[in-house]
Amino acid sequence: METKRELKFESPSFSKRLKGMLGVDFYRLFHTPMFYIFLVIAAIIPAMVSAMTTMPDANGNKMEPLYSNVWQIIAASEPLYVVNSIADYANMNMVFIFGGIMVSIFIGHDYKSGYVKQLFTTHAKKQDYMMSKSIVCAFAMVCMCITYLIGGTIGGVLAGYSLEVNVGSLILAILGKMIMSFGWASLYTFLNIIFRKYFGVSIASSFFFGTGILIIGIAAIVENLSLPTSFLNLFLYGSSVNACLVSGIPTLLICAAVSAAWAVIYNVLGTRILSKSDVY
Amino acid sequence: MNAVEIKNLSKNFGAKQAVCGLNMTVPMGAVYGFIGENGSGKSTTEKMICGLIPVSGGSIKLYGKDYTDGAVRARIGVLIEAPGCFPGLSVWDNMMLQAGNLSIPDAEKEVVKVLKLVRMEGAAGNKYKNCSLGMKQRVGIAMALLGDPLLLVLDEPLNGLDADGMRIMREVLTDVVKDGTRSVIVSSHLLGELQKVATHYGIIRHGKMIREMTADELDAGCRTYVALRTGEMNKSKMLLGCRYSRVEEDEAGFLRVYDRTTPEEIVTYLYENGICVTEMRTDKIGLEEYYIDLMKEGK
Repeated sequence: METKRELKFESPSFSKRLKGMLGVDFYRLFHTPMFYIFLVIAAIIPAMVSAMTTMPDANGNKMEPLYSNVWQIIAASEPLYVVNSIADYANMNMVFIFGGIMVSIFIGHDYKSGYVKQLFTTHAKKQDYMMSKSIVCAFAMVCMCITYLIGGTIGGVLAGYSLEVNVGSLILAILGKMIMSFGWASLYTFLNIIFRKYFGVSIASSFFFGTGILIIGIAAIVENLSLPTSFLNLFLYGSSVNACLVSGIPTLLICAAVSAAWAVIYNVLGTRILSKSDVY
Repeated sequence: MNAVEIKNLSKNFGAKQAVCGLNMTVPMGAVYGFIGENGSGKSTTEKMICGLIPVSGGSIKLYGKDYTDGAVRARIGVLIEAPGCFPGLSVWDNMMLQAGNLSIPDAEKEVVKVLKLVRMEGAAGNKYKNCSLGMKQRVGIAMALLGDPLLLVLDEPLNGLDADGMRIMREVLTDVVKDGTRSVIVSSHLLGELQKVATHYGIIRHGKMIREMTADELDAGCRTYVALRTGEMNKSKMLLGCRYSRVEEDEAGFLRVYDRTTPEEIVTYLYENGICVTEMRTDKIGLEEYYIDLMKEGK
């Protein structure tokens, strides 16, 4: 036996751990065909919706266009609330549906491949995992917002919609939705941590939250009970749909505040669940 | 200071107690053979050491620190069941991802080094899903070796390995512990292979450690048996079977008598029954027989 060497234990700092994990997650994102498929879907869907709503019906009559302005494909004309019709949400908010499904697949792969087992036997902490996934998935959703913007604009122009808009409000609305991506990504990461052993359920939960069906359902009940829906607007669904074509700086601040609140709440809850339960 | 010191460890899955009051000590520089039947609690214990499942009670100390300490966790290499790799990525990419998780500064150099150790440098470009079972195990071992770990926890690492793979594994394990600070916990059902490398043993049953010993203690505790060949093997087997409680024929065609007896007594007995012994030797039972005996005692 050789001479015993001196034992050195170095605790990696939070930033070093997170940097390492982010590097891995971004590498995986860029090397996953699924990411590019979702980018394409995010571009095609608004273009298709614009084109289809201007097509003639079976009798040859021209249908009533869904939009009157190109930018309504990106954001609603006025702020929406949870009690509005679900069809009014058919704008850039759809990215959050695609994003939810993408997050489910991304995290599902972690568990299916056994990668989490490999990860959590290192110095990696559960909070690093939650944070890294939220950041990377938020980035993916921001990318989808960009391809959605491109697809929606081209589709709207080809469909002959008006381009008239308050540019400042439009930019703020787009930024607001992009900022909310972080909140949404945190919510989806949290949902996928809860249902990590049931891939189908995690996809379904992401879909129901992403489309807003659950929240609008809750809102309907709350309204029937004559209770205020403002809490739901603010904390559950409202802020991303508040970002509309008449947005101002306050809208952006609300989006930032709600996104940060969602991120903190869901990251803390997700970390707790991961710490208290079996990883693999 | 010991590499691993476990006291009164327990783990419950609902009403089922998988591990109960387990004590375990792995000294520094040891290759610790962790043995037990299927469902005895080996993998659960290993998963608790690795932080994959929370403990229900007791304590785990790794190099004197609590097992949840990030500093000590950074120095553990693990292969539990199968490596956690993305099937669509290459071996190299999977290795680099794990190096990233470990925040290894010179990752490429380190990955090349460990792939060479397990003779997988030529297959680094292969997609993980296209690797054979043995190759996947080698990748898992290479992954566990990343980042100069002080403690290796290997659960059934010999599964799917061919003769060359097993030899490499023995070399790697022997090399890992030679500086006297690093330790390995290795569980395997291939007890013959395990005996070639293990310096310490722990035998677990129904979630409890029933015996811990060094290789020397095992050797001293292993009783001898008499192996013999005669001109009439079938008749000899029948006759010996009538007189002794455990007589078995081994792969080399020898009859083994495990009971406490002497070669002279057996030769005389067979001679009186008209059988000449042509070859005879005495030998010690191996880990496998020792383990089987121990399990039978328990039953």
